Amino acid sequence: MKFTDYIQKIDRRYIFIVLAIAVIVPLLFPLGLPTFTTPPVRNLYKHIDEAAGEDDKAVFMDFAQSPSTLPELYPMDLAVLRHCFLRDIKVFTISYYPQGAAIMQMALSEVKEAFPDVRPDYDYCNFGYRSWALRVPITLGIGDNIAEAVETNSAGRRLENLPIMGKIKNYDNIQVCIEISGASPGYLYINYARARYGVDVAIGVTAVSAADNYPYLQTGQLIGLLGGLKGAAEYEELVETFAVNGIPYSEKKAQNLSWRQQQFELSEVPYKFKRARIGMDAQAVAHVLIILFIIIGNVGYFIEKRQEKKKFIK
Amino acid sequence: MMETIGIWLAAFLTLSMFSFLYKDNPFYKFAEHLFIGASLGYGIPYTFFNVFIPYAYNPLFLKHEYILIIPFLIGIGYWFRFSNNLSWLSRYPIAFGLGIVGMGVPMSIHAQILVQMRTMMLPLTNINLILIFIGTVSILLYFFFSKAHKGVYGKFTSIGIWFMMIGFGASFGYTVMARLSLLIGRLQFLLSDWLGLIN
Repeated sequence: MKFTDYIQKIDRRYIFIVLAIAVIVPLLFPLGLPTFTTPPVRNLYKHIDEAAGEDDKAVFMDFAQSPSTLPELYPMDLAVLRHCFLRDIKVFTISYYPQGAAIMQMALSEVKEAFPDVRPDYDYCNFGYRSWALRVPITLGIGDNIAEAVETNSAGRRLENLPIMGKIKNYDNIQVCIEISGASPGYLYINYARARYGVDVAIGVTAVSAADNYPYLQTGQLIGLLGGLKGAAEYEELVETFAVNGIPYSEKKAQNLSWRQQQFELSEVPYKFKRARIGMDAQAVAHVLIILFIIIGNVGYFIEKRQEKKKFIK
Repeated sequence: MMETIGIWLAAFLTLSMFSFLYKDNPFYKFAEHLFIGASLGYGIPYTFFNVFIPYAYNPLFLKHEYILIIPFLIGIGYWFRFSNNLSWLSRYPIAFGLGIVGMGVPMSIHAQILVQMRTMMLPLTNINLILIFIGTVSILLYFFFSKAHKGVYGKFTSIGIWFMMIGFGASFGYTVMARLSLLIGRLQFLLSDWLGLIN
């Protein structure tokens, strides 16, 4: 059998094995590839960071997630929460999905392990699960009064009695609404919260949805976007560089890769806070492999086509 | 102990799913059906205790807010979908739901159409805006079928195809990244949580 015939008819299971090896090896032995940051991620980081230490500002996080989106979205959850806890930024969390509520609780617990001083209802407030049918009334109601729209936290305590609500009333006190979503990201907040109240909106999405949402960045309806594992890795990197070291955000420093690489040692970072960056090592190797497969497949195709043309001429 | 059992169970189900890459088999079928059943099984009681009890049962039966009987009865209308004779009653909650959808139309038009159009109408002061302008106009004209795509017009509309191809390429590239991320996520779980090979 000719080489061209062989590569056109190769059993796809061999490709799966090669791909699995290409992913497993960098996970076991990380390559430490540099993480370049992009403007949509830097903008979001900068915007959140501006609320550091402010009593009357909070970040509003919506967890529209299910277990099938965990590999891409969960590192984002951890990175954003870690940023907020490190920089003393108040956080509200909510989910309109039963499974999203469980993921939200898991993310809060996992990040909080590293921050024993961070207290629920003082530094963050988990609104818990709310019915999908209530998402529009709640989103609009927050524009008037969060405590009236949401009423209670996940433990059933009334919001107006919680210390975190002292100087926070409505969207005027929300620094940004972030929807980390595997479904229709950001539309709820773009359509209602931004259109009616002018609140800043950002999204974290699976890579599949990322390209569809760039038009909203262009128009300014989104101030930031975390796209897939890459977006999560970028945000992890910014948190590691600035927030962990207590350095205020600087655009110039954020773009300076060599300066950023001097700020921390990746091997010393807890695995849960570098999951996306390690994953991106594997992603990079797998992408190179896929590009090679595409090139080999196309070379085989064109050689075969040329041979058929020659036969036809003869 | 429970955590260990959970990790082993998750590892078994992950490997069962991966076994489909070799060929269809009973382990894959079992894991697939279990996933669907567990998702539904998890959602139904969760919704019952977090929606029905606090928003319907408690206010109506404990706080005696009888005004809630009206939405309660409208909601019950959905159940008549299962009756051949009374299925028409289910149209009322559907109509009510559509009315709520209608509430979002003006805001959707503003956010999804008007703001997007406004960006199109900005002065062409930089290369991005010029590219957006050319891309949008050429694609719109490509889908205008009342004029034959010939001559200069045809060449201009073919630019629209290039823009679309680049858009599809970007989407496909991101899709590849998404699928690989799922594989990476599962392998990270197997290698770290299950096998403990990654610290």
